[in-house]
Amino acid sequence: MRILTLTLMTASWLCAQNTIVIQNGTIHTVTKGTFQGSIVIRDGKIAEVAEKVMTPPGARIVDATGKHVMPGIIDAHTHIALDSINEGSVSVSSMVNVAEMLNPEQINIYRALAGGVTTANSLHGSANSIGGQNVLFKTRWGQNAEGLIFKGAKPSLKIALGENVKRSGNPQGGGFQQGAQQNLRYPGTRMGVEDVIRDAFTRASEYQKEWKEYDAKKARGENALPPKRDLQLDPLVEILEGRRLIHAHCYRSDEILMLMRIFDEFNIKGVTYQHVLEGYKVAKEIAARGDGASTFSDWWSYKVEAWDAIPYNAAIMHKKGVLVSLNSDDAGGAELMRRLNTEAAKVMKYGGLTEDEALAMITINPAKQMQIDKWVGSIEAGKDADIVIYDKNPLSMYAKVEKVFIDGKEYFDRDNDITERPRKEAEKKGLTEKEREIEKKSAPQTRRPS
Amino acid sequence: MKSQIALIAALSLPLLGGQNDTFLIRNATVHPVSSPQMDNASVLVVDGKIADVGSKIAVKGKIRIIEGKGLHVYPGIIDSGSPIGLSEIGSVRESVDTGELGDFNPQLRSIIAVNPASEHIPVVRANGITSVMVTPGGAGGGRGGSGGSLISGQVSLMHLDGWTWEEMEIRRGAAMQITWPAIASGGRFGDGDAPPAFAARRTTFAEAKRTQEQQVQKIREFFEEAKRYQLAKSSGAAGFKPDLKFEAMLPVLSGKMPLMVVAAREREIREAVQWAEREQVKIVLAGVRRAGKMTEELAKKNIPVILGSTFTTPLEEDDPYDEPFTLPGELAKAGVKIAFASFGTQFARNLPYEASQAVPFGLSYDEALKSVTLNAAQIWGVADQIGSIEKGKIADLIVTDGDPLEIRTQVKMMFIKGEPVDLESKHTRLYKKYLARP
Amino acid sequence: MRHIIPVLAVWACSGLVPLQTPLRAEVPPLLAIQDARIVTVSGGVIEKGTVVIRNGIIVDVGAGASVPKGAWIVDGKGLTVYPGLIDALSTWGIPEAAAAVPTAAGGRGGGAPAAPQAGQAQTPQTRSWGPADRPGTSSWVKAADQVKTTDRRLEQARGAGFTSAVTFPKSGLIGGHGAVINLGGESNGQMIVDPSAGLFMNTTPGGYTGYPSSLMGIYAYFRQLWIDAEHYRLAKEMYAKDPVNIPRPEYDRALEGVLESRRVLLPASNPITMERMVKLAGDMKSPVVLWGVVEGYRMADRLKQSGTPVILNVKWPTRERDADPERVESLRTLEVRDKAPTSPAVLAAAGVKFAVSSDGIDTPRDVIRALKKSIDLGLKKEDALRALTLSAAEIYGVAAKLGSIDRGKIANLVVTNGDLFDDRTKVQMVFIDGVKYLPPPETPQGPGGGAAARPTESIEEEQ
Repeated sequence: MRILTLTLMTASWLCAQNTIVIQNGTIHTVTKGTFQGSIVIRDGKIAEVAEKVMTPPGARIVDATGKHVMPGIIDAHTHIALDSINEGSVSVSSMVNVAEMLNPEQINIYRALAGGVTTANSLHGSANSIGGQNVLFKTRWGQNAEGLIFKGAKPSLKIALGENVKRSGNPQGGGFQQGAQQNLRYPGTRMGVEDVIRDAFTRASEYQKEWKEYDAKKARGENALPPKRDLQLDPLVEILEGRRLIHAHCYRSDEILMLMRIFDEFNIKGVTYQHVLEGYKVAKEIAARGDGASTFSDWWSYKVEAWDAIPYNAAIMHKKGVLVSLNSDDAGGAELMRRLNTEAAKVMKYGGLTEDEALAMITINPAKQMQIDKWVGSIEAGKDADIVIYDKNPLSMYAKVEKVFIDGKEYFDRDNDITERPRKEAEKKGLTEKEREIEKKSAPQTRRPS
Repeated sequence: MKSQIALIAALSLPLLGGQNDTFLIRNATVHPVSSPQMDNASVLVVDGKIADVGSKIAVKGKIRIIEGKGLHVYPGIIDSGSPIGLSEIGSVRESVDTGELGDFNPQLRSIIAVNPASEHIPVVRANGITSVMVTPGGAGGGRGGSGGSLISGQVSLMHLDGWTWEEMEIRRGAAMQITWPAIASGGRFGDGDAPPAFAARRTTFAEAKRTQEQQVQKIREFFEEAKRYQLAKSSGAAGFKPDLKFEAMLPVLSGKMPLMVVAAREREIREAVQWAEREQVKIVLAGVRRAGKMTEELAKKNIPVILGSTFTTPLEEDDPYDEPFTLPGELAKAGVKIAFASFGTQFARNLPYEASQAVPFGLSYDEALKSVTLNAAQIWGVADQIGSIEKGKIADLIVTDGDPLEIRTQVKMMFIKGEPVDLESKHTRLYKKYLARP
Repeated sequence: MRHIIPVLAVWACSGLVPLQTPLRAEVPPLLAIQDARIVTVSGGVIEKGTVVIRNGIIVDVGAGASVPKGAWIVDGKGLTVYPGLIDALSTWGIPEAAAAVPTAAGGRGGGAPAAPQAGQAQTPQTRSWGPADRPGTSSWVKAADQVKTTDRRLEQARGAGFTSAVTFPKSGLIGGHGAVINLGGESNGQMIVDPSAGLFMNTTPGGYTGYPSSLMGIYAYFRQLWIDAEHYRLAKEMYAKDPVNIPRPEYDRALEGVLESRRVLLPASNPITMERMVKLAGDMKSPVVLWGVVEGYRMADRLKQSGTPVILNVKWPTRERDADPERVESLRTLEVRDKAPTSPAVLAAAGVKFAVSSDGIDTPRDVIRALKKSIDLGLKKEDALRALTLSAAEIYGVAAKLGSIDRGKIANLVVTNGDLFDDRTKVQMVFIDGVKYLPPPETPQGPGGGAAARPTESIEEEQ
């Protein structure tokens, strides 16, 4: 009996240990409205969200009075935390996987986290028509690469169209390695881009067939050599079989349409158009296919294909029934990732969308595009406790992130960050001084035999 | 929706009157910037100038009335550095007129190459920006940099409205843009995150320092030559021949024209300040990212600072994550006069938000607002004309439905020199066109 | 006919050596080092004992080992005998490699591919369009076919106490098969202890342009190459059994080379690259040895857990000499420089098997000095010595032949006048296959000939 009581007590104590209650804040659930209330987090998941909740004894209380609470921000398109981004030497580089390049110690992860981003989709670059495999991860700063990966998510592949692709294989484009002069990489036009993509999926279909034939032979008991596994075509077959998503970098309406027609031809679904700055011109067609669009808030004029870009792009596409998200495309540093909340405010300015519609574009919409909305993207019971606490309305320029939880664990706390600063400085100073001291000691003592 | 109707109604009003640059905005919340906000106040504009500001303004005769109920009136926003009008599509050389060849180009005047029909101008205006310091320097040197040149030319202050650049002009030679050479050793200054491919191209500190010293020497010599020219001219020396480069330097040497010195880090700032003192020239620092120990000296010496975008990442790996956000507040608190510049075209419309980004991280709201209005006017020597809503100043005004430093706020009306300005742009036109696509 | 002419020249002016006639070109078939301190590595230290060598093999060792009749004698009083040292990742013996040896594992960072080293990219480069072009691959090349007794670096290595090296062709992505070699011998072939030490792989593109141009491209290429090899093996096997139904596979030397590989050597400087490489090797279904391992001090647990042996690069990172004085270095960088020399101690404490490499080090003696630094930071001397001897032999599967002073092993020995890690200690002689070599004179220009008092300083200052 005593043992049983003890066990029970331990159990409840443990349970309370894993329980956090974010109390009395303005909760922007994104999907279920905004209200004054509390969130109970248990074992990394959201257990309850309501105006009044049941607080278990021993739970950690986070007072959110006067503060704003929203789901962790999801960046559908970034390039941070990768040790390499492009394998641009060939036009189809689907064999490479940026997940292998995930560098969990890159400071950008922390900076993005401090800006409220809890899930990031780091993509292969746009140097070639069919790029590499992408990586979806959570900004669990301090974990190793494996620990960052968003488990259970469908994998995805990058496709790119237009100027970057044309430029990368072309010596005038710069950035390409020695020998490029004699070795121009096809394609150099949008027509060629279409060809490369259609050809790749055609080859993938043939490869898929080869395997099916082999399987059939084996089933018949024939002695047959299996086809050779081709790491380039495997991911394309996964796309044909609906097991992998596509993120397609595109700008102009004609090329967006072109790509959609290839997808129709090969019956490919699960596409999100990236940047898609002229998406507003073909919003109807995008909506008809049920594809997603992930765009910038207000980028334009940096190149010819961005000349017709308008900040109303997201709003028009949204109004015409396209699932729209906003992304950062950060590569050098996590810059825009730190303020996707105010980027979202721009769809209110340009196009008059509501607060919820704006926040959806950096939370639930990208989650849906990446088919991870059953886990993240809103504050709902049962979802991962990926939560950001702001001191003010996150759509205001005057708001800043105070705390970030991922899977119910606090990964960022502004006060801690500030109090930690002097310690870090001191540690650095200590190491520098130590090194100089050693250098001084081991310097040649001018005992040169003369 | 309601506010949009109000906008249309309000915009149609000025068109009714006979004289466009004379009107009264009434019942609005007026933010003069130079003095506290006034509720239920009016602004009287006569012949393009602010004739009166206050809660009770007597108006003689018939005047166009703009109903400002629920609206706010601010001075037009000033961008203290942008190549707007000189650069249309960043990646197309043919559309870019910044960054002339040669080390010393003081004779160049940016405004004369400004395309008044640039698509960027209406886009930027839509967010409340009424005037810009147009920088001649190229983009190659990074934010606020001047490309390859040391002296890239004269920065012109202009209104973002006019049929010709002459009509847009406020001050042709408002400053001289000069880039203080930095010691560029290593692939990237800092934590060595650059991939080894870059590292292979690294220059050593000694090499970089030598190059930098040579460049500084060039600047010294150029100023020496300019001074000799000045002396030769004033003394009427025999055989004196005019030279446009040195002619353009005369207002700099006499202290009439400030130098906009692009200097990002403490070392460049320190060198530039010391140099300017010796040369006895007036300087404004631009593109400052880290003033460090120089901060107090800048305050003491009244050297203003034009900040580049706060929308950037910390300089060093170990810097606090909010380092770019806290910088404006730190400078302002130390007593340094700050203003903001977009140093670009595509994001120039976000200038007001570059200032407000610093507010949650220590910059006072009032200072943020000043940094894009009155401070800028003071720094560029035009505080008697623009930068605040005061009697006698040019009527560069914006009427908004809220705080112009907040993204959600809409600019409902704009007046430049008292003239109503169209807030439509390529963007709004395409918006309407494609929203209506069947 | 073992020619030991370089040694003979030194004998002439050295009073130490008890061999009678320097002109005698033959090696004594039976030799005993008597009354020496013997550090066996495998079985502790014998304070006063004898090592007996017959025909280049250790036949007896111990305090009570008797000197057989007819044996030549080395009086070991005041001397210490160690097993010969092994450079576990080397290019010694391959004269062509002496010019430029890339050291990709140095420094921090994620190990992104470096630009081709100067001097490396001189041959005309071919444009690679995919894995089928086998970019930067010479998996068919064997160090065993390249080693030469004439490599001038051998003498210097022996002078520092090294008697063996595991030497690799290192160019490109897959340099070729390494060989365990002795650092002396009459013929090239005689130097080879084991011709199949593993495939050396690097993630620095070289020798080609085009694919793969990124680190991830290189990983993908390695994977595809191993898949191709496995398929090739299967095709050959199936064809042998059923030539009627299975097409005859086309001969592919690159894949033959892969299939011959016993293990792969992959670079990993930090925990991030370590995880990547352990996974890669797993996908390749190959035993792996990681090399570089600069940040070994924070990789120990995971290395232990995955049972991965490592070859440490002991050229400890140092501050850039000509750096900007106002440059701010990251805490991370400072930490790496501070802690890198502690790696051996940390790895030893965790029970990770590690050996050391001369990679990036010009003076072989500096390898020992580098380990001395680690000893000062807590590495046990036994562990340091083991890394230089038996661990290296074990990693490459040659512990039956090398790495300790035991009966039956090759008589590779270093004889010193004191503790190996004491910088004042001099190597008196080394034995390779039982053949004695004397160290080269350390200060050839010393006017009085007695300048050996400060050998270390003078060597360092000359660099």
